[in-house]
Amino acid sequence: MLIDLHPANRVLDETLRERFNGTPEKLGQLKLADFDGVSYKVSTPDSKTVLHVSMYIACFAQLRAYGADDVLRREYGNLLEQTPEDGFDVTVKIDLENLPENKEDLIRKVSLLKRNALAAPFERAFTAQQEGNESELMVIQYRPDEAFYIKAQHDRVTVIFSTVFSEETDRIFGKVFLQEFVDARRSPATQNAPQVLYSAREPPMELRGLPNVVESENVGFVTFVLFPRHFVGPAAEGCISRIQLFRDYLHYHIKASKAYMHSRLRIRVDSFLKVLNRARPEQPDDKKEKKTASGKTFTRKETIGRPLSPVHDLSSHFQDPLHNPSTYGHCHL
Amino acid sequence: MTHAPAVVIDNGTGYTKAGYAGNNDPQFIIPTCLALRESQGGNLSTKRGIEDLDYFIGDEALANSKTYGISYPIRHGTVDNWDHMEKFHQALLFHYLRCEPEDHHFLLTEPPLNPPENREYTAEIFFESFGAKGMYIAVQAVLALAASWAHGKTEQTLTGTVIDSGDGVTHVIPVAEGYVIDSAIKHIPIAGRDITQFVQQLLRERENSIPPEDSLEVAKRIKEMYSYVCPDIVKEFKKYESEGDKWFKRHEFVHSVTKKSYTIDVGFERFLGPEIFFSPEIVSPDFLTPLPQVVDEVIQGCPIDTRRGLYKNIVLSGGSTMYKDFGRRLQRDIKNMVVARLRHYESVAQVNLAQDQQIQGKNVDVNVISHKKQRYAVWFGGSLLADTAEFNSCYHTKAQYEEHGPSIARFNKVFASIH
Amino acid sequence: MPAYHSSFNDGQYRSLGNIALLPIKTKIRGPAPSAVDAETDDIVDEAIGLFRANCFFRNFEIKGGGDRALIYLLLFIQECLQKLQKLPSSVEGQRMLLTHALQNFAIPGENQFPLNAMYEKPVSKNDQDQLRQYLSQLRQECATRLATKIYDGKEVPSKWWLCFSKRKFMGLPNVGTMA
Repeated sequence: MLIDLHPANRVLDETLRERFNGTPEKLGQLKLADFDGVSYKVSTPDSKTVLHVSMYIACFAQLRAYGADDVLRREYGNLLEQTPEDGFDVTVKIDLENLPENKEDLIRKVSLLKRNALAAPFERAFTAQQEGNESELMVIQYRPDEAFYIKAQHDRVTVIFSTVFSEETDRIFGKVFLQEFVDARRSPATQNAPQVLYSAREPPMELRGLPNVVESENVGFVTFVLFPRHFVGPAAEGCISRIQLFRDYLHYHIKASKAYMHSRLRIRVDSFLKVLNRARPEQPDDKKEKKTASGKTFTRKETIGRPLSPVHDLSSHFQDPLHNPSTYGHCHL
Repeated sequence: MTHAPAVVIDNGTGYTKAGYAGNNDPQFIIPTCLALRESQGGNLSTKRGIEDLDYFIGDEALANSKTYGISYPIRHGTVDNWDHMEKFHQALLFHYLRCEPEDHHFLLTEPPLNPPENREYTAEIFFESFGAKGMYIAVQAVLALAASWAHGKTEQTLTGTVIDSGDGVTHVIPVAEGYVIDSAIKHIPIAGRDITQFVQQLLRERENSIPPEDSLEVAKRIKEMYSYVCPDIVKEFKKYESEGDKWFKRHEFVHSVTKKSYTIDVGFERFLGPEIFFSPEIVSPDFLTPLPQVVDEVIQGCPIDTRRGLYKNIVLSGGSTMYKDFGRRLQRDIKNMVVARLRHYESVAQVNLAQDQQIQGKNVDVNVISHKKQRYAVWFGGSLLADTAEFNSCYHTKAQYEEHGPSIARFNKVFASIH
Repeated sequence: MPAYHSSFNDGQYRSLGNIALLPIKTKIRGPAPSAVDAETDDIVDEAIGLFRANCFFRNFEIKGGGDRALIYLLLFIQECLQKLQKLPSSVEGQRMLLTHALQNFAIPGENQFPLNAMYEKPVSKNDQDQLRQYLSQLRQECATRLATKIYDGKEVPSKWWLCFSKRKFMGLPNVGTMA
C-alpha cells in the first residue's frame, strides 16, 4: 500500500547499506533532494573510507533557534561535524573502517536526518506542555511560501500548517480531502485521533497579527490539536515523523486523486470510443445495392479514392501505429 | 531554488533508470512494472476508498506477484498503458526519489519513432497530475551520444550512430546534428535475452548438474561474468583446445532451494553467447544479418553528406554492448566492409581511366566508441544535460503548458553542447 | 559471419561426381593421393577443426568440390558423436567409431543420400566405385582421428565434444549411413 509517506530517505538508506556492506571505493559525489527543498550530498572528499553526508535545509536557522543542535547531537553524537560543509547545514562523518556493531541502526538514523532536524521544535513544545508551561509560537518557514507554527499550551499543543495550492483544482481537492479528515474522525476507530480544523484563506485565531502570514485565495490553513495522549512517551516519535510530513502527504494525495480522476477519464473515453465504433453510418442512396432490369445486383463505385467514414477517421486517430505489434520490431532486411 | 536538482527518468521496457541530474549513476534501477489488485481497472467508479493506492512498483512489485497481478506498462520501448504509467511515476517520485514535483524540473526520455501523441500524454501527466515546474523529453539516442562525450577522447558532436542494446531489442539509430534520421533506423531482434537463452541452451546440452529451476539464473550469471567477443570462433575453439587451463573456467553456484553448492564448467559459451550479434544464424532461423552489416546498411541509408560523420562516431549504449572487445570486433567488421566498398568503387572508376592515371578514394574513418558509462548511457547523458545551464532554456514550463496546452511537448529543443 | 568454407575449393583436383578428390594423410588404402606434407592440415583435419563452429549453421553456400568433401565429413562427425552418447570407454569407443565408418553407406545419386540436390551422381560405374572407396577412406581416417581427439588419452569421451551431438549442421540428421 502506498498510502503513507515514509519519514526516511530511501536513497540515503540504500546508498549507506551498499557502502557499509560492500568494498569501499571512491564515490564520485551523490547529490540528492528530498521533500521541502531539502538536499543532500554524499561524498568521500578526504579518504575513500570516510563518508560525508551533508544536508541543506532552508529553515535551519529557525530550527536551530528551537534547539535543533541539541537534538542532532543527541542522535548523531560525535559523528556530527562542528562546521558543516560549504553550502550545507548539517554534516555527518562516517568512518567506514570503524562502523558500530549495529549498522542498521546507523543507516536508519542517517536516513532520518531531515526528520530529526525538523523534530526539534516539536520536541520543545511537547516538553514545555509536559512541564505545564506555555511556549512561544514557534514559526518554521520550511518552504518559500509555506510555514508551520507550533505552540504549546497548558493542556495541548497546537500545530498549524499553511500550504499553498498552485492551482484552483488543487485547492478544491485539498478542501474535499481535509473535509474527509473531519468526517473520518466520527468513525469509532479514529475517535482518538487529533482534532483537525481546516480553514481556507483566513488564518486561524492563533496566527492573527503575525507578520509574514500570507493571506490569499490559494492558501489554506490546517490546524492539529494534539493532546498529551498523542505525544507522551513512545507515541512522540511516530507523531513527529508523521506530522512534519503532513504537507507533503496532503499534496501527494491531491496528486494521487488527480491520477485517479485521469484513470476514470480514460475509461470513459474508451467506452465512448466503443460506442462510436459500433455506430455505422447509414449508406447513402447511391451506395445502396441496386438491381438491373435483368435481376443482377451492382453497387456504384466511388470514382476517386476511398470515402472515409467519420467512424473510421476517429478510430485511426486514437489507434497509434506503434501499438500494433506487426508494425513494430519488424526487421528491415 | 538553486538547491533543487532536475530529475532524470529513463523508462525502458525492462528497467526504469531514475535519479537526480549531476550524478554519475542513476539512484534507482528498478523493473518497469507494477503489482496491482486483480480487480483493479474494472469498474473503477464503484471504488470509494483508497484502493487506487494499493499497488507496488519495481522489485517490490515482483516480490508481491503472488497476491497481485503484474503489469508492464511499457512494451517495445513505448508506453502501452497510461493509467499504469501514471501510477508508476507517482510512486517513483513520492516514494523512491522523494521529490515534490512542483519544485523540480524533469528530463524524460523517449524511444525512437515515439508517436508525438505520447509526448502529449506524458506532458499531461507531469503538468496536470503532478504540477511539475518544467519538463523536457529527450530522444534516447541523442542522450547516448552525449554520454559518450564523458570519455573525453572524441569531439562533442551530436552526429553519430547509436547502437542501443538492452534486454529485448537492439536498435541502430543514426543521428545527425541532434536529429534522428527516422527513415534509416533499424531494429534487430537479437539482444541480451537471446544471449541468455543461448547460453542456457549450451549449458543444458553439456552440464547436467544444473537444477532446472535455477537454469535461467545460472545462465544469466555466466553470461554477465564470463562473456567476451572473439575475433574468430574457429581460432577460439583451437585456443581452448591448446590452452584449456587458461580459457575454461569453473564457477560455484548455490542451489536456490536446497542451498547445496554445485560447480559448473564454463567453456565455449563465453564467446559463443555474444557471437550471435555477429553470426545471428546460429540462433535465429529467420534473422540472418550480422550487426556490423546492419550498421553499414543503416549508414548507407542516410543522406550522403552525413555518412562520414556517422561512420566516425559509432556509439554503444545499453547493457548488452558491454562484452569485452564488442566494440573492437564491430569496428573491424564495419571497417572491412567499408574498405571493400571503397576498393570496389576505385576499380570500377579505374576502368574508364587511362593506364597511367590513378584514382584513390578518400579513406573513411570508422570509430566505435566504448566508454565507462555505457551501461546506463541514456540516463547518464540525461544527467549531464539536465545539469547544464542550457537546460534552463530548453524545458517547457508549467506556464507555457497552461498557455498553449499539451501540444508544446511535441517539440523539444536540441542541446548544442555542454559547457 | 557465415559458416566457414574449405580451403581446398580453389586447387586443381580431380573430381568424383562433383566432390574433390583430395590428398589425405592416411595409411588406409584407396583412391585418394597421399598428402606429401605431414605438417599441413588435410581435409580431415580441416573438418574436425571446423566442426564445432560450423555445426551451429543452418545455411551453407557450396563454393566448390572441397566444400562438398567438407560437408560430407562434418555430417559424418555428427553421426559419430551420436554414437558416443552412451559414454563408452576409450577402447570400446574407438571400436564403435571404426565399425560405424565401415557400415554400408549411400553415395551421391542413391536414394538414401541426403544431399542429392547439391551433389552430382558420378557418371561412370568406375567413378561410382572410386567415389565409394574414397568416401570410405575419408570415413575411416576421420573416425580414427576423431576418436583420438575426443578421448584425448582419457577413459570417457570429452563433454566438450559430446555437447555438440545434438546439433544438426544444415538441419540434416545424417549423411546416409545405413545402420
